[in-house]
Amino acid sequence: MHKYFICILFYFFSISLANADDDDEGSITFSEAEIINEFTTRIPFKLIDRLLVVEAELLNKKGNFIIDTGSESLILNKTHFKTQYSRGKKSNATSGVLDIVDNPLEKRLKQFVLKDFNITNKMSDVIDLSHIEKSKKMNLLGIIGFNILKDYEIFIDLHLNQITLSKIDNQGNRLDKLQYLEKITDSINFFLKGHTIILNGVVNNQKVKFGLDTAAEFNQINKSVNKKVLKYFIPKKRLELVGASNKKIEVLAGKLHRVKLTETIYFGPMYTVLTNLSRMNDAFGTNLDGILGYAFFEQKRTIINYKKEKLYFVNYPIKINE
Amino acid sequence: MNKVFKHIIYLFFIAISISVYSQDNAVKGYKIVGDEVVFTFDIRDYTKYTNEKTSRRIRVESFDITNVVVSGEFNSWSRDKWQMNKVDEYTYQLKKNIDDFTDEFSWEFKFIINNSYWAEPNKKVNNITPAVDDYGYNLNVFNLKMFTAHPNENGNACFKLDGYKDAKRVVLTGTFNRWDEDIFNMNKTENGWELTLQVNPGQYQYKFIIDGDWVEDMRNPDKVENEYHGFNSVINITEPFTFNLEGHLDAEKVILTGTFNDWSEEDIKMIKTSNGWTYTAELLGGKHHYKFIIDGNWTTDPDNSVKEYDYDGNINSVCIIK
Repeated sequence: MHKYFICILFYFFSISLANADDDDEGSITFSEAEIINEFTTRIPFKLIDRLLVVEAELLNKKGNFIIDTGSESLILNKTHFKTQYSRGKKSNATSGVLDIVDNPLEKRLKQFVLKDFNITNKMSDVIDLSHIEKSKKMNLLGIIGFNILKDYEIFIDLHLNQITLSKIDNQGNRLDKLQYLEKITDSINFFLKGHTIILNGVVNNQKVKFGLDTAAEFNQINKSVNKKVLKYFIPKKRLELVGASNKKIEVLAGKLHRVKLTETIYFGPMYTVLTNLSRMNDAFGTNLDGILGYAFFEQKRTIINYKKEKLYFVNYPIKINE
Repeated sequence: MNKVFKHIIYLFFIAISISVYSQDNAVKGYKIVGDEVVFTFDIRDYTKYTNEKTSRRIRVESFDITNVVVSGEFNSWSRDKWQMNKVDEYTYQLKKNIDDFTDEFSWEFKFIINNSYWAEPNKKVNNITPAVDDYGYNLNVFNLKMFTAHPNENGNACFKLDGYKDAKRVVLTGTFNRWDEDIFNMNKTENGWELTLQVNPGQYQYKFIIDGDWVEDMRNPDKVENEYHGFNSVINITEPFTFNLEGHLDAEKVILTGTFNDWSEEDIKMIKTSNGWTYTAELLGGKHHYKFIIDGNWTTDPDNSVKEYDYDGNINSVCIIK
């Protein structure tokens, strides 16, 4: 009995030790990032299927994070960040295109450091993402969402497989004096509804409201969208998708043709799935006709500025030296 | 009681040997050779067929075959489009280019005989997915998995394992095939086991599975600790990349320098051609900064629009290997 008591005592002692360095927690570092100066950093990503995945270290754990503009906040995987880090329960559904998740434990990070950058008091949710780890056969520490990204101009570059984060002021102006060296060829305004980037596009002369989401592996088009739009959706096969809540849905996959945002910004056929977006629309808090994801970024090297509510585009280079 | 226990042990061993036996069956229905997916139908592998219209199962030893068709998700389960060619008395084959499959990572397919009888694959085959038809009957379908790597005798990555001559089966698994435990069977050689893959440039982790035991590559000192407190072996795959500089024919010396050789000012001398300078370097997967030094003058690549600042504020040309 005495032995057990010592064990229990030791257990509590180690817990208090583990919590003693609380002040150091909450800083994130990107081990592979190139720091350009105090305002700008370039973080290489790898593609896991069609997810943009960066390597980072947080709370003494090193692993993968998905870059997800469709997610409202930072989400930490419960498998790796046990509940001792959480500061109590809150019933609040986290929303994101990965899917709707239930009752996440909310967690407030004291400090969130992107190497030299400091972001304080960001909210984060701790939820179980182990099914993504299983289905993608990857280690996943969490998801980096809107509330982390919004203070930066974000260049999502599927040519160089990297994300450039550049600090902006309240008006959305870049603090970095160095400009992009590649020419910005076009731009478009968007609307921000909650955390969702909304783009008004046109397909077959019909207005279509798209959400833009870096973590949408497949573009999506709503079943209930105008029939004229669906005329340009050419189905190819059935596909099974698994969302963040581990629910399987079968969808019709194909290509969506002739998506146009302006007279100068238009797209070649994009791999798209036909889905029922009504549940997703609850999460986004707005009615969307579709979601643009990986296929969008595959065709456009895109810079997102949340404060200016503007997207900028950089051309893919003409193939050289080949 | 003791007898029952013995029986249980006995049954247990039977179960184990059955499962070991079942693992001896390799992936069936297709193989990937070079740039081609080769579907193979061997009539001796099938004893059961299902009538398309009546859903009735028939068992036949010999079947009067007029044609065999590959039907699956990749061709919307077409009953007649992908007709196979007879190569000998028992075997039918169909070769398709690997590019026809890059939209997806896992495909389901079956063989259909005389456009109306589905050949039912043996349950013990490794790449089988259970399925249910519209009437609730249990079916099995073949699963074709696509990875960034595939076995190819003339490939760019040769994996060797010395010894283990008594092993029944050795599988190569790694990040190039999402740690698949079945698909890349190694071939027995005089000294051990071997398999050559064609892999996209990049860094990969891998292990051998020797009769179920996961073992790192002892011949390879390059390894990283994994999440199970063991080690994964690491391989770097390079790709030749040709740098060209037009003109400057009156220059005496042009040096190619970049992050790939730590900005060496003498390491790589470019070769003069009739219209400029050229050099082919073996580069690792990922992003590389580079410049030309023309008779002592540092310059970016005039034919490459992709440029970036480095930490010191210099402008470099950028290329990407993927």
